[in-house]
Amino acid sequence: MAKADTVLIVGAGPAGLEAARTVAELGKRAMLIETKDQLGGTPYAYYATLTPDLQETEHSMQEILDAVEHHSAVDVRLNTRVVHSEGSLGAFHVTLDRDGAQTVEEVGAIVVATGFQHFDPGRETQMYGYYEYDDVITLVDAEKMFKDGNIVRPSTGLPPERVAFIQCVGSRDRQIGNKYCSKVCCGIASKQSIEIKRMLPNAKVFIFYIDMRMYGFWEDQIYWKAQEEYKVNYIRGIVTEIIRKGDKLLIKGEDTTMGRPMEVLMDLVILSVGMEPSKGTVEMSRIFQIPREEHGFLQVIGGPLNTVSTPVPGIFVAGAAAGPKDIEDSVSMGASAAAKAVGALKRLELEVR
Amino acid sequence: MQKAKAIELDVAVVDGVELSGSWNRMFEPRAISEYDIAVLDETTAIPGAESLGYCYQCGKCTAVCPVDTVGDYSPRKIFRRTQLGVSLVDSPDLWLCTTCRNCLRVCPKEVNMIQIMPAVRERAVLDGKAPDELLTAFENTARYGNPIGESPRKRAEWAKTAGVMVPVMAQKKSPVDVLWFVECYPAYHPRGKQASVALARLLNALNVDFGILGNEEKCAGDSQRMAGERGLFEMLAEHNIKMLSKYTFNHIVVTDPHAYNAFLHEYPKLGGDWPVQHYTQYLAERLSALSFVRSIPRRITFHDPCYLGRHNGEYDAPRRLLTALPGVELVEMGHCRETSYCCGGGGGGMWLDSFTRDYTSERLSEKRVREAIEYGADILAVTCPYEVPRFEDAVKSTGNAGKLAVMDIAELLAYSVGLTDEYAAN
Repeated sequence: MAKADTVLIVGAGPAGLEAARTVAELGKRAMLIETKDQLGGTPYAYYATLTPDLQETEHSMQEILDAVEHHSAVDVRLNTRVVHSEGSLGAFHVTLDRDGAQTVEEVGAIVVATGFQHFDPGRETQMYGYYEYDDVITLVDAEKMFKDGNIVRPSTGLPPERVAFIQCVGSRDRQIGNKYCSKVCCGIASKQSIEIKRMLPNAKVFIFYIDMRMYGFWEDQIYWKAQEEYKVNYIRGIVTEIIRKGDKLLIKGEDTTMGRPMEVLMDLVILSVGMEPSKGTVEMSRIFQIPREEHGFLQVIGGPLNTVSTPVPGIFVAGAAAGPKDIEDSVSMGASAAAKAVGALKRLELEVR
Repeated sequence: MQKAKAIELDVAVVDGVELSGSWNRMFEPRAISEYDIAVLDETTAIPGAESLGYCYQCGKCTAVCPVDTVGDYSPRKIFRRTQLGVSLVDSPDLWLCTTCRNCLRVCPKEVNMIQIMPAVRERAVLDGKAPDELLTAFENTARYGNPIGESPRKRAEWAKTAGVMVPVMAQKKSPVDVLWFVECYPAYHPRGKQASVALARLLNALNVDFGILGNEEKCAGDSQRMAGERGLFEMLAEHNIKMLSKYTFNHIVVTDPHAYNAFLHEYPKLGGDWPVQHYTQYLAERLSALSFVRSIPRRITFHDPCYLGRHNGEYDAPRRLLTALPGVELVEMGHCRETSYCCGGGGGGMWLDSFTRDYTSERLSEKRVREAIEYGADILAVTCPYEVPRFEDAVKSTGNAGKLAVMDIAELLAYSVGLTDEYAAN
């Protein structure tokens, strides 16, 4: 019975971390598997600050990292991947691989928190020249510069005077195959625009959008703040393509509230790339036989009322592995998945008695 | 009524003449090639104009902006044009707003045209960019104490025709209960004077202990303030406060909602803090003391003045007076109370008639008169001194002479109480 007391958590981003902590707090053992050599997942690896509060990521996440790393009931396995699984609820036999050394672990339940990967803006019909123009970058590239405390045009190394964000890159597009909204990019672009204005008060920052989708409190916490306090210019109308003009970029689209074409020169263009299921998420779908829903993310069975139970008994999902999520939702799902996993184990104990 | 077309045509037929609209594209490039953000930044840097930058383009204002029903103008468009580099200080847009407050009522972001307009206009006035006819009104006000250019010594002349005592404070030399602040159009305009006579008789019939400032009164100045002449406003306010301070009275009653607004919100900041009522509020509290002897068997509709209604929340007092009139059937227009349309006279509109005509298809007053007629009214009752002349002109210019009378509520009351002999042209 002791081994069935363990919940395996795959992925150590916000959802996996919270799941591990919650499992431990509920009195079971958590085994937290992470392929990278660092806890924290995508936000920790790629984002200098968090949305919406603009707090430094490493500082913000330190509390949960410490809680997980120092908890005696959490077994953290870095540089480790899941390669195979057999068995079922109460007795999954999961093969883990660390640098080629494989072990088989018996666990009672599983939480998959393998997250998302950023959309590759070079794909499909995205005519933004991401791989052609140095000064077309993504939100992630911008965060890398923010970590160093600056923002420059990669082509010159000098600060940009005019910056354009293009929203919905890789999202809401039937031709690309991603019909969904990635949920967080409007907020992240607005957050970044505030950071750029803080670093470069004289820069002119534009956000070109189809619809601004600022859920809940993000509306006034970042969108209104960016517009009203930081004078960020929101222009309704998306950019179709980018053309090189001298050492600048000519962005072409429609200014839809004016009903006219728009062709404006920019120094730096930041693509608000959306979310796709990560390789790990796709891999876990295969290994654990979790069906993927129509957008390619892991399927849950309860619709809006159960966001964490997959069709496979004993296997739960948390965070962006189940579809685009912000950190708040990922953490909430992590706790929810952990509670349900522990609950499943407890029911087994009752049945045995 | 002609239906609006979903798509603007390149070729329109107006009065049988084909007009091509595509020619203008030869002169202006279609594509927007620059967002000159400096202009928006400069504009929102003007104290009071900050909230222009808050607009997120929902367009709620456009639906209720009276000016956009007759011209290509609304707060949303003002923001976009400014964002595109068109300076509001240089744009005719700056002078089209009547400060009716309907946009602010519906704006989710609280883009406050009631603060933006006077602030940016003040800059334009200082830069010498105000329309000439507005400057004339300013000059008249500065020189004569009224925007019409009438002699300040004749400000109390109308009282001689009142047929009742209208005490002037300087001569009365004793405290009064009510200080009646008459204002310019009620003192000088022929139709305004008729309403003043009616109100004077009503106050007498109610045995009100009242007095007026007479020639010591100057324009309250609120519309000049909204039109961008804050300096002039402060000068006028200082004068009026000084004159009022000489006398002892319990409260002020005003004829003009614009003066009401000034006494309520602006004069206190400058040291002139007295209880103030619009005359409809004052009379509504004393309705039981009025005995009505004549019936007015007419359908009456009421136009809420922007500065009594939306600006200051008083919708009921005028209606209580109108529904007390024997014989009257009060019909409400579609646009009434909070959604009331604007007569076009506020925020300096009173003095920008020729200017505005170049940018609008018709006057706001004309649109309002058409609505009154559409709702079957015989009489359009008003209670702002700007409105009688504006609507009477509009009745004529829309070809409705004889179909709709425009009456101040004071005139209707005075007639029904038996204090005057006529209540309407028809």
